[in-house]
Amino acid sequence: MQFIFFLEQVLNGLLIGGYYLLIALGLSLIFSLGGIVNLAHGAFYALGAYGAVVLTQYVGFGGALILSPVLVGLLGIAFERLLLRRFYQSDPILGLLLTFGLAMIAEQIIRMIWGSSPLAYSIPSALKGQVVLGDFIYSRYRLVMLLVVIGAMVGLWFLLNKTAFGRVVRAGTQRPDMVAVLGIRLNHYMTGAVVLGVSLAALAGVLLAPLAGVHPAMGAEIMTAAFVVVVIGGMGSFWGVVLAAILVGVVRGITTFFYPPASEASMYMLMILVLLLRPRGLLGERIERFE
Amino acid sequence: MTNVNTQKYLPLVLALVGLMVSPLIMRSLGLTPGTATDVVIYAMAALGLNLLVGQTGLTSFGHGAFFGIGAYAAALSQKYWFEGQIVLPILFTIVFCALLATLVGALILRRRGVYFSLLTLAFSALTFAIAFRWTALTGGENGLGNVIRPALGVLQLDQPVPYLIAVSVIGWLVLYLVWRISRSPFGHVLAAIRENEQRARFQGYDTQRYKLFAFAISGTVTALAGSLLAFHYRFASADPTSVTFSGELLAMVVIGGMHSLLGPVVGAFFYILFREYLSIWTPNWLLYFGLLFVGFIIFSPKGLVGVWAQVKKRFKPEKETDAAMSARKIYQGLAFPSFLQPAKGDSVALEVSGIAKSFGGVKAVRDCSLTLHSGIHAVIGPNGSGKTTTFNLISGLFVPDQGKVTLYEKSLTGLSSDKISQLGLARSFQITNLFKGLTIYENLRLSVQARHKGHFNIWRDIDSYELVHQQTAELVKYLGLEGIEHSEAASMSYGGQRLVDMGIALGCHPKVLLLDEPLAGLAAAERERISNLIQTIQQYIPVLIVEHDLDRVLGFSQNVTVMNDGSVLMSGTPDQVRSDVRVQEVYTGKGTPAIQARTAASTNAEDVLLSFDKINSFYGKSHILNEASLNVRRGEIVALLGRNGAGKSTLLKALTGLVEPVGGTIMFDGQKISGMAAPDIARIGIGYVPQGRGLFAGMSVRDNFALGRMNRVNPAIGGTYWTEEKIFEYFPRLKDRMDVAADYLSGGEQQMVAVARALSGNIKLLLLDEPFEGLAPAVINELFMVFDKLRSEVSILIVEHNLDLVLALSDRVFALERGQVFHEGPAKALLDDLDYRKKILWM
Repeated sequence: MQFIFFLEQVLNGLLIGGYYLLIALGLSLIFSLGGIVNLAHGAFYALGAYGAVVLTQYVGFGGALILSPVLVGLLGIAFERLLLRRFYQSDPILGLLLTFGLAMIAEQIIRMIWGSSPLAYSIPSALKGQVVLGDFIYSRYRLVMLLVVIGAMVGLWFLLNKTAFGRVVRAGTQRPDMVAVLGIRLNHYMTGAVVLGVSLAALAGVLLAPLAGVHPAMGAEIMTAAFVVVVIGGMGSFWGVVLAAILVGVVRGITTFFYPPASEASMYMLMILVLLLRPRGLLGERIERFE
Repeated sequence: MTNVNTQKYLPLVLALVGLMVSPLIMRSLGLTPGTATDVVIYAMAALGLNLLVGQTGLTSFGHGAFFGIGAYAAALSQKYWFEGQIVLPILFTIVFCALLATLVGALILRRRGVYFSLLTLAFSALTFAIAFRWTALTGGENGLGNVIRPALGVLQLDQPVPYLIAVSVIGWLVLYLVWRISRSPFGHVLAAIRENEQRARFQGYDTQRYKLFAFAISGTVTALAGSLLAFHYRFASADPTSVTFSGELLAMVVIGGMHSLLGPVVGAFFYILFREYLSIWTPNWLLYFGLLFVGFIIFSPKGLVGVWAQVKKRFKPEKETDAAMSARKIYQGLAFPSFLQPAKGDSVALEVSGIAKSFGGVKAVRDCSLTLHSGIHAVIGPNGSGKTTTFNLISGLFVPDQGKVTLYEKSLTGLSSDKISQLGLARSFQITNLFKGLTIYENLRLSVQARHKGHFNIWRDIDSYELVHQQTAELVKYLGLEGIEHSEAASMSYGGQRLVDMGIALGCHPKVLLLDEPLAGLAAAERERISNLIQTIQQYIPVLIVEHDLDRVLGFSQNVTVMNDGSVLMSGTPDQVRSDVRVQEVYTGKGTPAIQARTAASTNAEDVLLSFDKINSFYGKSHILNEASLNVRRGEIVALLGRNGAGKSTLLKALTGLVEPVGGTIMFDGQKISGMAAPDIARIGIGYVPQGRGLFAGMSVRDNFALGRMNRVNPAIGGTYWTEEKIFEYFPRLKDRMDVAADYLSGGEQQMVAVARALSGNIKLLLLDEPFEGLAPAVINELFMVFDKLRSEVSILIVEHNLDLVLALSDRVFALERGQVFHEGPAKALLDDLDYRKKILWM
């Protein structure tokens, strides 16, 4: 029984890691194309969750799951075209400060519209209940979430590695100049990558809303965790980030099993350890401009 | 002098006056003395943060953590150890947080730039997580109350006004500390790190140690402010440790102005005013504060202080103090400054034996040995022969894979660049490497200061180091920079910047001086003067020099080492080098081409495909292309020749739109393309193969071709278009390589892929930048034949330093020097007549 409980905690940890992954992959994508660490990424996650709360009333959970990320993606177009684009060429620190300011504004706007206290949002009834496998009992909703995360990850990998869009994005992160002399306008792809990144964050927001609660500070909370994942994995490395998310998830799960209050601190300890051993992260490469 | 002194003390006086009248100001604004205390405390925290952000250029998102930990340290130490006390808890906070900040700094400073910022952010998040959860210690959500403010002598600290007075005194002292630091040698090194950390290391500063110290002081000051906050509210909580608050602190610094001593104070005042007034009618005052913050980042990153400076300029325009080189005084025949004369050593000055270095499989330096005794020793060799890498290995930028370097019998191998500099080896850089935001004088003084024993002093005013100033002034005069020494380095012309770059190296009081192309980009008169300067320097200090002006360098050096392909080709006197056949071959070729091209099809002089007319181009301050003109006809191959740095690659980039062409016009097939964006130029039929091939690493050959084909296949354009079948026809061996990652191919295959990718679209003009570089003879043959065959399909403009090959291939030649075309004519004359070739292209 003890072991089953342990396993459950590890699985829960993996699930959390999965959501960090959705945020971190988007962050990493925007970073490697435009060179901006988007501190406002958490705000899009929060907007995704609030969007779900509002939209579910009209279109149900299934509709919100699709519509909310799409709407946030549209917002992402404006975000990239009007603001981010001005900062691709400037000192990366300015981009950091800008997006931090935007995160601050977004959080306050959420407070103005929806108030400071958490909103209630429950698991859709179709997904309530448990899956029973012998001694092992696990929430059906969580299992579905896990599948969605894996699906999103596979989809993103496919998009980046097997499509024309992905080819341009990967080429553009290395040699934007060479992409240009092959007649490709990278601007549109930049917008595309930002839209993709923030939509993934919004998707995570919708899915996590019933479990983690919907409150104004939720964006800031998940951001720091996503950064930990990115720092551990190495900025700009797909598999590094995936590996780090799994690692963080497992470590959190195990800590929750043995000593719940330290669960949050455990991932920071992991980060310190990784930094001492591998200053560039598990699979990180050296990008001179950001050092 | 009095004026300078007023300027110097002004911030301290302003702050003193401000603090004395603050209760009155607050009352007139309808606020309480308690609010004034808030302002002073936040200002202190922001001052501490700005020591990192503004002074050192390290953006910390984690200072909220120190602020919060300071508050906890004070509250907890009062609760458990110093009951009813106030001085002891504050002292404890200072000691505890100084240790903590040193520890945290040592860890976080392992990474730089954006990563540093992210780590500070994580530090703050970690602190919050602990503070919030460790309820037994911190009180968790409820915080830690019951902090007492006891009386201190006559001051009834329990009352708001006496406490304000006490906080004000401490606040002013903190400002005084920050003021002292910013004026000390230590503080100036921090500014140097902000401007250009690498160069500071090459001056001999152990920058990591400086940054750690700055981090520790900065964190401690912010923690001190935090402890005062705990006493102010008689309460400590987790809120200040949150990332959000760290960001607000950063916003205060940015809004106030990070490059000014009082900027953060202004920012803190602004923040509190905002909070007090806006929170009356909206709980979401942070929204407006955030909007303001973002506004400042977009429109005025210099903050309120910057805005004020702009306004002041409007009313009282400053005198134009530009760094026109004409404003300076040049003294002829100055003696070499005596303080720079090193003691004469008997042994060999610099001994390099068998060093080698590879970068990811490419051997940049295979085997280099040289011995420098005295005088000038030149290192010459064609583009890519490993000269600058050799300098980088000697000076500690990279550690050699093998081999040894000794300076006066002391081993330098494996030492860091700051240690090497301290041992007496200084260098200048090929690409100008200055502290751009500092004045010329400060640039040079930092070098002189590095050899002074007080260079780590954090307290003494820089003005009081008379010797340092006297020596710097002497150096300024010697270099011929007097009169403009107080202008910003970035505002100088390119030539002036080259001179300062050399001055920074010289100011380090070296025993051996390495100069990397000191004459590049200088006007003729200035060239003459600098080479005279180098000739006086060499009487005292042995000089190792890389220079492309061969006439001059062979004229003034005693010894020459010629490098080719990463190895030493020969060493000897200039005369030996001049008459050495191998050296001539390296530079001008054998005169007997390995391969013979078909005779060019006669082209019609009227049928011009590309005309490049009077184009200029700039890179920062340097004028790369200077009214350059050339043209390419249909069906012909044109070679673009010239020494390293003459502007050949830049010309190709200006054609593709990667570099902005200034003035003049570029016409391509009847269409004006100057000013068009690179993708649009690519789509009308110009293909480009850059130096180093520019393949997308980690992506398959197939993917590379797919990207080439994506937007450029357009039969309406005409020209040639290489389908996959056609690629295999020309390069059969690529057939088996389609799914291999491009960077795993051999050099020759990579070049084939680069050419085929460029032609995977409708192309009328192909640009090739050094297509034969680093390839084996058999592969060169193969490519040569392909290019020869191609002339019936496209026109080619080729840059190549192997003259035998390129002259055999091309129909016409344009030769560039300092961005100008100085020779134009048929290739054949240069190919056949070796004497004519030497006259035109060699020395």
